[in-house]
Amino acid sequence: METSDPMGTTTVLRTPAEETLLKRYPAEKASLPGAPAVASLRDGAFAAFEKVGLPHRRVEAWKYTDLRANLRTIAAPAGAPDHGRVQALPPAVPGDGARRIVVANGRVLADLSDLAGLEPGVSVRSLADALTHADAAVLAALEPIAEAADNVALAVNTAFMSDGVVVTIADGVRLERPIEIAHVTDGETAAATAVRNLVMVGAGATATVIETVESTSAAAHQSNIVTMMVVGDGAAVDHIRLQLEPFEAVSLTTLTVSIGANARFETFNAALGAGLARAQVFARFTGAAATGAFRGATLLSGRRHADTTLVVTHDAEGCESRELYKAVVDDEAKSVFQGRINVPAHAQKTDARMMTASLLLSDGAEAYAKPELEIFADDVQCGHGATCGALDDDLLFYMLARGISKTEAEKLLIIAYLGEAIDEVHNEAVREMLIHRIEAWLGKRVG
Amino acid sequence: MLQIKNLHARIGDREILKGLDLTVNAGEIHAIMGPNGAGKSTLSYILAGKDDYEVTEGEVLLNGVNILEMEPNERATAGLFLAFQYPIEIPGVASMTFLRAALNAHRKARGEGEISTPDFMRVIKETSAKLNISTEMLKRPVNVGFSGGEKKRNEVMQMALLQPSIAILDETDSGLDIDALKVVSDGVNALRSPERSFVVITHYQRLLNYIVPDFVHVLSDGRIVASGGKELALELEKNGYAGFVQDAA
Repeated sequence: METSDPMGTTTVLRTPAEETLLKRYPAEKASLPGAPAVASLRDGAFAAFEKVGLPHRRVEAWKYTDLRANLRTIAAPAGAPDHGRVQALPPAVPGDGARRIVVANGRVLADLSDLAGLEPGVSVRSLADALTHADAAVLAALEPIAEAADNVALAVNTAFMSDGVVVTIADGVRLERPIEIAHVTDGETAAATAVRNLVMVGAGATATVIETVESTSAAAHQSNIVTMMVVGDGAAVDHIRLQLEPFEAVSLTTLTVSIGANARFETFNAALGAGLARAQVFARFTGAAATGAFRGATLLSGRRHADTTLVVTHDAEGCESRELYKAVVDDEAKSVFQGRINVPAHAQKTDARMMTASLLLSDGAEAYAKPELEIFADDVQCGHGATCGALDDDLLFYMLARGISKTEAEKLLIIAYLGEAIDEVHNEAVREMLIHRIEAWLGKRVG
Repeated sequence: MLQIKNLHARIGDREILKGLDLTVNAGEIHAIMGPNGAGKSTLSYILAGKDDYEVTEGEVLLNGVNILEMEPNERATAGLFLAFQYPIEIPGVASMTFLRAALNAHRKARGEGEISTPDFMRVIKETSAKLNISTEMLKRPVNVGFSGGEKKRNEVMQMALLQPSIAILDETDSGLDIDALKVVSDGVNALRSPERSFVVITHYQRLLNYIVPDFVHVLSDGRIVASGGKELALELEKNGYAGFVQDAA
């Protein structure tokens, strides 16, 4: 298939991956869940994808993560998972005490999910059901915030989304137990999934939402997970995503969040898996005097590629945001950070600080950082910083001079380096699990 | 204990040590004094194994073993300790984690298992009490936000924990007021023993009032140009290095 570019001077060939998607949608749309209103939403999203195709390096937002070049093939839609294998997967966060809801191969598995005794004011449903019943609130919630509106990964997700979790927490409910959405891809052959979760937290409510992304095998699975959150006025929400897939996998995750007045929202992304990963965060402060913290840690080895893309809009007065992303990059891996903070003219008294740092452990490792601030208000405090470097020889020598081996010294320094971001995670079980994973990763490093 | 024989070393094209000889026997304290640029700090870094320097000739024997082929951590576990002139701040690494890692590295080298938490806490408590050092500073990351005096006390604390057979003190007196100097010196004196030797590198005679050396050496232009008893330090204090520098030239 060919399409004319806007200049009309050349014709652009579709890549095999694009061809596959173009064939798959018409063939599958009838079997995707949803009332006619949902079908037209899907059609619109797919048309948007069809117009631009997979994003590539000449598209600014995807400059460092060229999907047209790197996504050679599109995996077949995931078939039914083996419940036994999914159940046998050890919990990603031991001891977090969370209410676990399992989404395997793009389907909510009620039999493996902990849905008994839901707290009053809390509802957990399957998105597929809500789409089939054309639930008005759910349909409205599917509308992306402006920051994510033209995002291709989101558009493809909208077209193909098969299921996901819809969590609603009523005003004032203080949820003690974290809710964990466990995304699993099962099967020996590469499979593609598109999952959409909606989490709506009412005014004054508190909640912790943990998302894990895993596979039962080392197949080249492709997951496209979008989680849309609404944080009500005065609510306090912690969101954690643990990206743990095998290195064969491709992982696209997107978080969109709108944050109400006086609310507190914090998100942490741990990019520990997948060969090609992009974690996107689109956030908007919709009410005054809210605080938001956006943090992440990336560990990369081999030829892996991980991209963190963040857009935060302060669309209200007096909000505070903190952005801190740290990466450790070894071998010939490549880390990307793109962060943008928008401060429109009416968002006076904004306080925003964005920091990204990359630690390069080998000569072949690469890190790209693109911090951006767009400020139209005149009474704000905004700052950004980006650093990139190797482990400090003086620090290493000091530790060696006390008898500590090079491996152990590097381990302590790398954990300390990532600790700046990890220590801010409120959930202790998650912090412990992260340190444990980092130690295991360092243990596997070839000195 | 420590024998340095005909040591030549350079950094880049610049030769800094030009045939240095020094023998330190068990239980002795040697002071090395000398003008700026004589090679005093270079000597301490070379002994500890910093890889910025290239040793071109000579050998350094610690208890009969040439340590120049060893990694810095191996030298440390073999019994050599360098108290840094400027102790390094290590953000994010808790002091206790650091001390425990160092102690365990020494235990491992001796073929012992890792120290248990209660034993470790007891050792820390006993050592800090003996040296009159508050454990308060050990609640912070290594040297982060420490005053100059606290950093030097922390060096002495580490020395006491690791029980080296030879300790090199590189300008331990720099940046210390009299009170801190006394605490640090008392700590060093408490660690004196017939089995342990010290090499005290300093600019000024002042430190040697507190840590009284058995021998004093003048290092100038990469060589020991004069050696004597503690009275040599007093002479240097009175007349300066000029006479020795000229002799060497």
